[in-house]
Amino acid sequence: MPDLAPLSALGAETPGSIHTGRLVLREISDIALATLALRNGGTAPMPFGLVLPGPLGWNPGNLAGAFWIAPGQWMISADGRAHTDFACDLKSAAPDCAVTEQTDGWAVFEIVSPEGAAPIGNLLERIVNLDPRILNAGAATRTHMAHMSVFLVRPADDRLTILGMRSAAASLWHALLEAVRGISAHG
Amino acid sequence: MSRITGGVIDRGTTLSFHFDGKRYQGHPGDTLASALLANGVRLIGRSFKYHRPRGVFSSGAEEPNALVRLGSGARAEPNSRATVVELFDGLVATSQTHVGSLRRDALALNDLLAPFLPAGFYYKTFMWPKAFWESVYEPAIRRAAGLGRLSGEPDPDRYGRGFLHCEVLVIGGGAAGLAAALTAARAGARVVLADDDFRLGGRLLSESHDLDGVPAVEWVARAEAEFASLPNLRVLRRTTVFGAYDHGVYGAVERVSDHQPEPGDGMRQTLWRITAKRTVLAAGATERHIPFADNDRPGIMLAGAMRSFVNRWAATPQRTPADPVAIFTNNDDGHRTAQDLLARGVPVAGVVDTRDDAVAQGEYRVIAGATVTGTRGRLGLRAIKVTQAGRSEWVDCAALGVSGGWNPNVHLTCHHRGRPVWDAALLAFVPGSDNPPGLLAAGACAGRGSTRAALADGARMAAAALAEIGIAADPCELPEAEDSASPPQPFWYVPGTRRAWVDFQNDVTVKDIALAHQENMRPVEHLKRWTTLGMATDQGKTSNVTALAIMADLTGRTIPDTGTTVFRPPYAPVSLGVLGGGDQGENFRPRRLTPTHHWAKAQGAVFVEAGAWMRAQYFPQSGEAHWQQSVEREARAVRSAVGLCDVTTLGKIDVQGTDAGAFLDRLYCNAMASLKVGRVRYGLMLREDGFAYDDGTCARLAVDHYVVTTTTANAGLVYRNLEFARQCLWPEFDVQLVSVTDAWAQIAVAGPNSRALLERVVDGLDLSNAAFPFMACAGVTVCGGLRARLFRISFSGELAYEIAVPARYGHALMARLMDCGQDLGVTPYGTETLGVLRIEKGHPAGAEINGQTSAAMLGLGRMVSPAKDAIGAVMSRREGLAAETRRLIGLVPVDPAARLVAGAHLFPNGARQSLESGEGWITSACFSPQLGSRIGLGFLERGEDRLGDIIVAANPLEGESVPVRAVSLPFVDPTGERLRA
Repeated sequence: MPDLAPLSALGAETPGSIHTGRLVLREISDIALATLALRNGGTAPMPFGLVLPGPLGWNPGNLAGAFWIAPGQWMISADGRAHTDFACDLKSAAPDCAVTEQTDGWAVFEIVSPEGAAPIGNLLERIVNLDPRILNAGAATRTHMAHMSVFLVRPADDRLTILGMRSAAASLWHALLEAVRGISAHG
Repeated sequence: MSRITGGVIDRGTTLSFHFDGKRYQGHPGDTLASALLANGVRLIGRSFKYHRPRGVFSSGAEEPNALVRLGSGARAEPNSRATVVELFDGLVATSQTHVGSLRRDALALNDLLAPFLPAGFYYKTFMWPKAFWESVYEPAIRRAAGLGRLSGEPDPDRYGRGFLHCEVLVIGGGAAGLAAALTAARAGARVVLADDDFRLGGRLLSESHDLDGVPAVEWVARAEAEFASLPNLRVLRRTTVFGAYDHGVYGAVERVSDHQPEPGDGMRQTLWRITAKRTVLAAGATERHIPFADNDRPGIMLAGAMRSFVNRWAATPQRTPADPVAIFTNNDDGHRTAQDLLARGVPVAGVVDTRDDAVAQGEYRVIAGATVTGTRGRLGLRAIKVTQAGRSEWVDCAALGVSGGWNPNVHLTCHHRGRPVWDAALLAFVPGSDNPPGLLAAGACAGRGSTRAALADGARMAAAALAEIGIAADPCELPEAEDSASPPQPFWYVPGTRRAWVDFQNDVTVKDIALAHQENMRPVEHLKRWTTLGMATDQGKTSNVTALAIMADLTGRTIPDTGTTVFRPPYAPVSLGVLGGGDQGENFRPRRLTPTHHWAKAQGAVFVEAGAWMRAQYFPQSGEAHWQQSVEREARAVRSAVGLCDVTTLGKIDVQGTDAGAFLDRLYCNAMASLKVGRVRYGLMLREDGFAYDDGTCARLAVDHYVVTTTTANAGLVYRNLEFARQCLWPEFDVQLVSVTDAWAQIAVAGPNSRALLERVVDGLDLSNAAFPFMACAGVTVCGGLRARLFRISFSGELAYEIAVPARYGHALMARLMDCGQDLGVTPYGTETLGVLRIEKGHPAGAEINGQTSAAMLGLGRMVSPAKDAIGAVMSRREGLAAETRRLIGLVPVDPAARLVAGAHLFPNGARQSLESGEGWITSACFSPQLGSRIGLGFLERGEDRLGDIIVAANPLEGESVPVRAVSLPFVDPTGERLRA
């Protein structure tokens, strides 16, 4: 184990978290990420037994999850494995693919609604120009939020995960809080 | 008081508000205008140019007169239309456009000078002396001119933004809009209904007619109850759809808390971008007036507005309940107001109707075939002069309702350059055939304005909109409603010698239009700019068509031949705060922070913006009074010991694939396929036109794995170009690309002690020159097993490395290196020092690779490999570029104390300095602690052949001419001994 202490994307020793309005916002700092891309003409592997989804798709998997990000390209995630060399493990599981470590490329924020789907819907309409019908439970897509490129994953109706540039984590967090404030103002 | 019974206000609650310091009372449901009228306040402001007393003229968004400043301090908002301001407890409003009190405005003198101040007077009057315009005339005119003033303080409010998607957007909540929304929502479509009022109903709230035998307000309430049961319908009240944009996108502002004393912690307004498959525009119509002599006195208003105040707000424009009210009309709608006034107990002095055959429709006097030709009452109307068949009489009245017909609110139909068309039967412009795609106009805004017609049209257009997108709608059951609609008589203004106002907000009179005609400002665009007609907050909603009609009369042409007004967004004023999205200061745009940002901040670093990045510029220490001192200390530390600099911001692109080498060979002008695994090479990229556009290092981690680094500024551009090449130019290549800029924290460790320092953190790697030479790279571990990448590259010219670790560890690694290196003299340095070091080493950066320089100019011409093709290689050899003789050289002032500035132009010594004699320019300059002199980089014609020559660096902006000597690069370590130490 390295004797260096990591910082979260928001720049603290512990991940950011806030319960505001009708939503709980949490920074997820222990998720490992890596992209997997097919070689030209390659066929989709099943790393860790994972079926790689098609466009807009997200597969939570067991050992790792995946969502589609481009033709022949997926983001593979593994909860709780940020401190490991997950990309190396993934490469072993999919040796014929290009694998790139992405764990620290992204700030990951999870938004949970204890009151069901509606507050998540309200949040979405304040952060992304996306028809809410596109992002049903089980879907993932890439879009813009507050002038930043983000991935959105909707694990469930009452849950949303946002991946944004790690370097812009503070700006993304601010935009989320402002959006929540906007929802509160509307009651 | 002029409050009568009835109305759609909550009399059970009393609200207090202040106008010009005096306390008044109103009720929920009031607007500021209705509450002022109910309190007998008729004088509300002064006019823009002549400072004429003005009162409420309308009851809606078209208001030209009743403009007030709302609030105080930083929240003060000038030019607010009292007719659309929802009353709340504690509201504070102040009149504007006067010097001294509102009643005794000192600048009312302007009105006496009116004969000397016609339209365009300042274009002719303030011509000489020219220098006086900015210093004397303009400030004086601005002081005298009306409209309010900004507070000058930062906006304290928050603004939100959001996006809505729907099948049908219904704009307007009147009869047509409600019917459209019901039809579409009942069919199951996702519907957004937006209305700018705080209460749905539109004109239904202003009329006395029943719907299905019940008051219209009750029918609206039933519709609202049904709305609440339809989850697919979203109602946005207090929301103005202000613009139609491309692809079915509409801009709308929701006033979330403008009707509250303070927004508190919430949002003041929200900007909605609504994407609709189809849109039903049900924006209603705006009544027009008939200009006549002195028609601008407080108490004179649109007849339809008067009906609104009486029916909806139970407020009349009288001074006392006994005061009579008169009507001036050219159509039946004016008579409707008279009937409603009488029904509410308001005495009617008479209806002046321009039509010869007009008859009374109630118990009131009709003066048929007559016009109003004058008025009395300095601060409020007292009497009108009525002229019939050449004979005139004065009729006492405290208020006059004017009705000249109705103009459909076609504005949004024109936002894609659509032109409205003239309906000769209606005497009005109606939407043409070139609406924004997917927009259907319904009801009064389409010229179908009776209640029955509007209801039916709303339902019909909603069904048509749904049919276009494949949704079937059942016929909507509609209530029985009045169906009277008669076009007005084509009577546009009352000719006369006194001033008759057409545009109240800009003080434009019939005479001004005649003058524009006389001055040949006849096209409608010229008329507008010459007279200012149609400008400012009301955008001529009550004046444009009337002005066209008057110009048509003067030119002898028809109204449609005279022109139409081009309506552009916004339909109504929109605050810049909400358009800006609300974020200010450091959140104005996204900021990117480096992994060591918080560490640097704790060290007291001064930051500089580098694109979206915040980079440490320098690290001042106690005793340093100037940034130059900090930078010199940092630079000396790198040259003599070891320095640390966060270089994470440089773009990093992961390139994998069996064809990665061949692919990069085509992107870089020099070869990369031949690069050995474990080695790094400097690379230069050219644009298609042959000019250099970016440089950086390229490391080969494995046979099929490279990492390309770019400049900070071009990280996105290079990545985009690589993706374009991969996807579009050479899709046959097996190449995979991923940006990893954020994933890795990268720290430059530079200086003679850098190896010693790194040996203390890198796990078990031989860093000797033999084992890890200049331009080597390797995957390593640091600090007990953390995966890292080590590159032996140097921007400073010293023995140097860059070490990359997963970004979350960047902060800790920087701290560790600082801790470990105290005895080695370790010092953090920022971008300023980075710049000094690279100039000393003669490395080009953004100032040299600026998109206008070639590889040859940079002294890198031999990097453009003739052995292979690459983007830009062929074009770099074209005649124009190949003949370019300017070359990058070093420059030092002959007098070491002399100043060198980037941007200075280079001239032959003793030559006249002109564009023709220029031989180049200085790109970068700094003080070199190493040389104890200022030094610079620059492009000089035949530079490589003129080393040692004295030339002149001229800075004409500051009148400087400095003799400089051309020298070879680099300034330090020309043999590379330090680099390879």
